[in-house]
Amino acid sequence: MITLTHYIGLSLILFGIGTIGFLVRRNAIILFMSVELMLNAVNLMLVSFSYYRSEMFGQVMVLFIYTVAAAEVAVGLAILISLFRHIKSIDINQFNLLKW
Amino acid sequence: MAIGDLYFWIFAGLALLAGIRVITSKEAIYSALWLLTVFISLSALYIHLRAPMIAIFQVTIYAGAILVLIIFVLTLLTRPDDKMGEFQHNVSFRGFGALTGILSTGLMLVMITGITEIVKKAPVPADLGSTGSFAKYLLNNYLIHFEIASVLLLAALICAIYIAKKDKKAVTQ
Repeated sequence: MITLTHYIGLSLILFGIGTIGFLVRRNAIILFMSVELMLNAVNLMLVSFSYYRSEMFGQVMVLFIYTVAAAEVAVGLAILISLFRHIKSIDINQFNLLKW
Repeated sequence: MAIGDLYFWIFAGLALLAGIRVITSKEAIYSALWLLTVFISLSALYIHLRAPMIAIFQVTIYAGAILVLIIFVLTLLTRPDDKMGEFQHNVSFRGFGALTGILSTGLMLVMITGITEIVKKAPVPADLGSTGSFAKYLLNNYLIHFEIASVLLLAALICAIYIAKKDKKAVTQ
């Protein structure tokens, strides 16, 4: 019998993998993928709560998260392209324009 | 073991394996392909959770749009000579990252298992997550939010074009 706890465990482990990936990688695009992984983990948790509580709200929330994720990726990758023009690299250790 | 349980374990295991490969692959393009595996297996889990609409959105938006955008940018920005598949060089930084991920996950697991005792499994109505009930619920209760989301997408579109546009002054210099 699969319970809510199984889904929450899966979702949290995926979120943790995303966190670790965000903190240990150097490639800015893999950082983006880690963020997507974390967003997906949250979506899974929302949908599983929606099922186990028999409410639609979780699914509607996921729809809005999709909107925000699409906007985030579009703007983020545009920033990355613009940064690549200046720095000629996607290594996040070289993105130190705002550091002083 | 019931067939539903087997279904869950297969796709949960696939999602976890692919998730680990996303952050450990040396080549970024392999990371992207493993991320596709994560999206597809999560979509299968959404079907198990009686959310077919969300499963379809998952495939069309994430696997169809976002991942394609990521792969496009990846092919644009990757040069053959740079070693971008590597982890952070600083060992203490890597250790700190792994520790943060593990600790925060463990903490959230401990916190949230207390919550699940409150949530009792209610009888699931037959039309939960069907297209009709999803649309009715969304447009009856969250119409304003839905419209604001479309404005947000438009703003992001204009913003992305403006940021990625070539700076004419920089070109002439």
